[in-house]
Formats: sequence, structure tokens, C-alpha cells
Amino acid sequence: GPCRVSMSMTEIRSGFTAIKANIQARDPIRTLSILSYPHSLHKVKSSDRCCIAHHLSNFYVDKVFKHCKTEDSYVNRKISSIANSFLSVKRTLAQCHEQNKCMCGQESTEKFKQILANYEGLDVTSAAIKSLGELDILLDWMEKST
Amino acid sequence: DALLPAPQNISILSTNMKHFLTWSPVIIHGETVRYSVEFQGEYEREYANESWIPICECSLITATVCNITEDVSATVAYKLRVRADVGARRSEWGTLKGFFNRITTSLTPPPMKVIADGYQLLVDLEDMGPAFQFYVLYWKKGQESRMQQKVVEEVRSMVHLDTMEAGPEYCVKAQTYVEVINRSSSFSQTQCVRAQGGTSMWLV
Repeated sequence: GPCRVSMSMTEIRSGFTAIKANIQARDPIRTLSILSYPHSLHKVKSSDRCCIAHHLSNFYVDKVFKHCKTEDSYVNRKISSIANSFLSVKRTLAQCHEQNKCMCGQESTEKFKQILANYEGLDVTSAAIKSLGELDILLDWMEKST
Repeated sequence: DALLPAPQNISILSTNMKHFLTWSPVIIHGETVRYSVEFQGEYEREYANESWIPICECSLITATVCNITEDVSATVAYKLRVRADVGARRSEWGTLKGFFNRITTSLTPPPMKVIADGYQLLVDLEDMGPAFQFYVLYWKKGQESRMQQKVVEEVRSMVHLDTMEAGPEYCVKAQTYVEVINRSSSFSQTQCVRAQGGTSMWLV
């Protein structure tokens, strides 16, 4: 059967909305995108969506959130809330992957390689802040994909 | 200066997805004791060097309770701790025994009011927050086997259930459902009403 991910999208979205302006203001390079360059997530085939979601939840948990600590306690608390919610999603998708419900095709592998290349093209903090600032792109895509 | 004792009897009160950390006061005669609270989610333990995050609304407060709902907003295991301050003196951290996961919150049956507005069967539900949906069951008394269900995702106003016939009683009960923890409350008390036979005005 399909991979079922219980995700408190409303909570994650409200947490992100509360800090979006603050985070995006810390990203000076607005012309570059981590998630959408060169192609939008929306171009990913439906059969590859689960794999991309799996890769991206790992990406945010393993690479992004930890490098987004700010001097603002309120922002840090919201990032913690989002990160802990993503941790649940990451676990569920990992189980699906192990149960072969989340197969990775050529396209999703290439797409994720491109995202990593975009990320590694910047210094860690800038890349992490930019990725966090693009979280609504990911949330929109995940919501549309369900 | 004797070391300030750490707060004791640290516990969680969690009802209907509202979570509060409480502790016993540290008594120092003639002094005002202030408390500060921090939390640590599973993410912080596994990916952020076991870091702790302060809750600024509960920094140097005199109360012995802190609303942690906004911060415990993922369904993972959280650690919580509190310490005391008196002037320049500071206690060790008192840490909640074990973890708190919001999946353990206690869900109470929803307050509800059933209304017969003429022949219309209505139910008035209380808004319990964005995390809550309601399952409302209604049936004609004596015909429990033909029970009907209405799912109410968002409480804005009175909910219309059915148009009643004159005569029989109609009964209603409701429970809450919280998707993010995938749990339901028990059902509320059943309430039954009968259509209010209105006088129809015929204009000739």
C-alpha cells in the first residue's frame, strides 16, 4: 500500500509563517534557490514524490535546522518546533523506504543531487538559512502531493 | 551562602492539548524566588548536541507554573527543566522525571448543547482549538441502529444536524478527535430534544 505520513502540516505552517519574514531577511542572495533550481519540485513525477520527500526530510533534519540558530529566542523556539515535527516525518518516511513503499527512481535521485549541489554551493549558514526560508515551497509541494 | 535548592515535584498537567509544567515553590524566608524553564525536544537530543531552549515567557517568573503548549508542538518526547534564582544565588536544574509526549494529553468529552429550533436539530459546540475535530452522532430515540454521524472540522457557529419530524425525540452525543496524535475523547452525555411544533402562519 502507499506510504502514509501523519504530518501536522497546519502546525508546521503556522510555526514557519511566524518566522518566515525574519528568516528570509537573513538571506541576502534572493536570486538563487536551493529547492527550485533549475527545476521546480512540482515537475517531479508522482512515482518519485515519496522518495524526494524522504530525501528532503532527511536533508532538513540532518543538514538544515542545526545551522539555523539565531540570536532571537522566539525564532529558535519556532525552529525547534518545526525541526521536531520534521523528525516525526523523517521517521515515518524512513519506515516506508525500508518497506519498499518509497522507491527512488532516476529522476528523484538526480533532483536530490541537484538540491545538494545548490546547497553545497553556498557556505553552510547561508545555505541553511536559505533552505529554511524556502520551507513553504516544500510544504506547498508536499501538501499538493498528498 | 547555602546553595539554593532546586525546584521539586516537577510535573505536567496536560488536558485537551494544553500543556503546563508545574513545580513546588522553593521557600526562602524574606526572599522572592524566581524560576526559569527550558525544554529539549528529541531533535535537540539527537541532532543539536542535547541543547536546551529557554522559554522566555517563563524566565525569572515568580509563578510555579509555565504554559509550554506553544513549545511542545510536535509529537515527540520532550524533556523539561526548571531552576530557581534569588538575587545572585542560583539553584541546580530540577528536571521532569522521564519525558513528556503530547500524545498522552487527556482528552475530555466536548461541552455541547443540543437545540431544537422549530423542526431543525442543531448542536452548539465549543471551539477547542485548531487541533480538534468533532464526531457528532445523532439518531431518533429508539432507533439507535440508524445512528447518523457528522464530522465537524472547524467550529464556527451552530451545526445543523437534521430536520426533525413532529413527535419523536432526537438524541445527540459528540466526541473530539485530534489528528496530530490520532486519538479521540470519550463521548459526551447524550442529550435528547423534541421538535418545537411551530404555528404556521397562512396568509390568504
